[in-house]
Amino acid sequence: MIASAHSADKKVYEISRLTNEAKELRSAFMDGRSKLMRLKMESTIEKKVAEKGLEISEVPPKKIRIKRQE
Amino acid sequence: MATSETNILNRLYFVAGCMFVFALAVVFKLCSIQFIHGDKYRAMAQKRTIKAFEIPANRGNIYSADGSLLAMSIPKYDIAIDAVTSSEKNFKKYIKPLCDSLAAFTGKSSNSFEQKIKKARKTKNQYLLLLRNLSYSDFIRVRNFPLFKLGAVRGGFVYNQTTKREHPMGGIAERSIGYERIDENNYATRVGIDGAFGKDYLRGENGKRLKQKIGNGEWKPLRDANEIEAKDGYDIYTTIDVNIQDIAHHSLLGQLEKYEADHGCVVVMDVKTGEIKAISNLGRGKSGKYYERLNYAVGESHEPGSTFKVMAMMAALEDKVIDTSTVVDTKNGRKMFYGRPINDSGEGHGKISAARALEVSSNIGLATIVDDNYSKTPEKFLKRLRDWKLDQKLGVAIIGEGQPVIPKPGDKIWSRNALPSMAYGYNMQLTPLQTLAFYNAIANNGQLIKPRFLRAVKEFDRPIEIFEKEVLVDKLCSNQTLSKIKEILKNIVVRGTGKKLYSETFSMAGKTGTARTDYANYEEWRKDPKYVSSFAGYFPAENPKYSCIVVIHKPSTEVGFYGADVSGPVFKRIAQKIYTDTPLVEEIQTVEFKNPKVVQDFEKFNSVSNTYKTIMPDLVGMPAMDAVAFLENMEVDVKVKLNGSGVVTAQSISKNIKLKPNQTIVLDAS
Repeated sequence: MIASAHSADKKVYEISRLTNEAKELRSAFMDGRSKLMRLKMESTIEKKVAEKGLEISEVPPKKIRIKRQE
Repeated sequence: MATSETNILNRLYFVAGCMFVFALAVVFKLCSIQFIHGDKYRAMAQKRTIKAFEIPANRGNIYSADGSLLAMSIPKYDIAIDAVTSSEKNFKKYIKPLCDSLAAFTGKSSNSFEQKIKKARKTKNQYLLLLRNLSYSDFIRVRNFPLFKLGAVRGGFVYNQTTKREHPMGGIAERSIGYERIDENNYATRVGIDGAFGKDYLRGENGKRLKQKIGNGEWKPLRDANEIEAKDGYDIYTTIDVNIQDIAHHSLLGQLEKYEADHGCVVVMDVKTGEIKAISNLGRGKSGKYYERLNYAVGESHEPGSTFKVMAMMAALEDKVIDTSTVVDTKNGRKMFYGRPINDSGEGHGKISAARALEVSSNIGLATIVDDNYSKTPEKFLKRLRDWKLDQKLGVAIIGEGQPVIPKPGDKIWSRNALPSMAYGYNMQLTPLQTLAFYNAIANNGQLIKPRFLRAVKEFDRPIEIFEKEVLVDKLCSNQTLSKIKEILKNIVVRGTGKKLYSETFSMAGKTGTARTDYANYEEWRKDPKYVSSFAGYFPAENPKYSCIVVIHKPSTEVGFYGADVSGPVFKRIAQKIYTDTPLVEEIQTVEFKNPKVVQDFEKFNSVSNTYKTIMPDLVGMPAMDAVAFLENMEVDVKVKLNGSGVVTAQSISKNIKLKPNQTIVLDAS
């Protein structure tokens, strides 16, 4: 009885520790995600590659599709 | 001494009596505590060690159409210091290093922190707020600063955890993604998608659980039976396309800054489904910077100006009172209607066709068409507008949709001038989204669809609710009228008011709009004229995919104010972006081209590599690239040195000589 009460208590501490860890990871994930979202936005990339003299194409890319012959 | 003996006895009786009474009192109190007040005290005892905890439900996330996160709840921390609780010794020892750490963390000066904290200690301030809105990782870092490391009692480290809604896209589409805030008085502020769907989907249900104190500041659940499980909120998948949103936001921002405008909005809608692909609303703050202030596109009902001419024209065409070739006299840019002049910009266009009147956006032209044909039967014109639901809200999900205003005879704002005014978009009001929905219907072969922001509500991967397109009016007008209007809209960009936007590589169709605003006091207005510049349309002109509206309020007239100059470029940029992002597909029949030279080379290489495995072959005349590959793939390990490139002209080892391992072969090529 006493032993199981103690083991239950221990689990509570463990849960609270893990909750905190989850919080930390969630927060870290959000930090990373925000940074990524901003970096991968076309307007950001456009500014970055402008330094290298690249700009957005005026014409769309061409896809070549082969018609399969039966 | 008999008397003294009774005296002692008397005293004894007295003391014994007192003790008896005392004992009775104790027993009485005991009973009273146990039986009379028993329940009260038992409850009190339980309260100190058992508490009902609310288990907060996690609010659902908001995603874009491609699954990027738009909003998510994360814990944030405010950090304060109790400047009184730490001992004199600790305070003296750690105050300097603490302030240095805080200075390094925030970039503010260490001295200012020190002064603030010392002052707080003097004035016995037990809660001096130092840092706000820290992420969990920053919070952990600050907690390990000197003094704070000692904890709440010895170090005075006080913190407050709150759950904040974060938008990874930052200020982009902030107002449309929105938020839900409920203050102490239970008064809720609901903005955007987050606000509109908070109650039904995102919020979830808080749980309850009884817990018992077990020390170390921790509580353990008492039992499983009477608790309510917390139910997390559902996730929401919006129709927003992050890429289009990004372009829309930045090109609108660029134009607003260039024209020093007050505010503006842009909305991009998918023609077939009514999904809102991008919505951006920017207004100028006090500092002159633009940010998402209000949801203008949804909420701001204003006089649409020239973009409404399309509706007026369509009504006249559908009623067959005119045709595109009907001649209208627009005079020399000024014409009186019931004692009030209507002006065109410039010198006027003279006698032109009805279609041309719309292309050059002639106020007189449209006012004449509508007044000539409907002045006796305004109800006929108004019924068209009502049938097209222009007098009703669209009923979009976002709270606070603006109310359109279409006056009718008998209304306060109705007069004989009302009808000609309405022909070019005055004396009435529409929101940008309502105008857009109409243009979208033109692009969608006359089917009016309700703009929508949501695709699905999900619980992890399990869909709870899927949103389908909602048709408001199945067919606005006949196909004939539709093709005429489409032709005019296309020509506006080719040769009308929008010709500055014309591009050879991609097509678009739309109508410019330049409306006066805040003109109640005309003299004031003339001194400082204010306009609303807009552009509504769709692209590509044939088989439209997206419709789009751009509205910019009060651009600086010194820079420019015409719809084609101010709002048009935003439209064009978005159209261009979508055009360049969609690959052109070219179909070809086959890739099996038989080139005799290639076949011959290939067969030669094949036969050589099959015959010569350890013996040097004749490589002269073979392409150097093939020769090197060939030698390196031989069964003997040899090293190859190649001088030059092209066709092999000489080889250091002559043919038919057996090769030794690790031998170096030099090839010369031209």
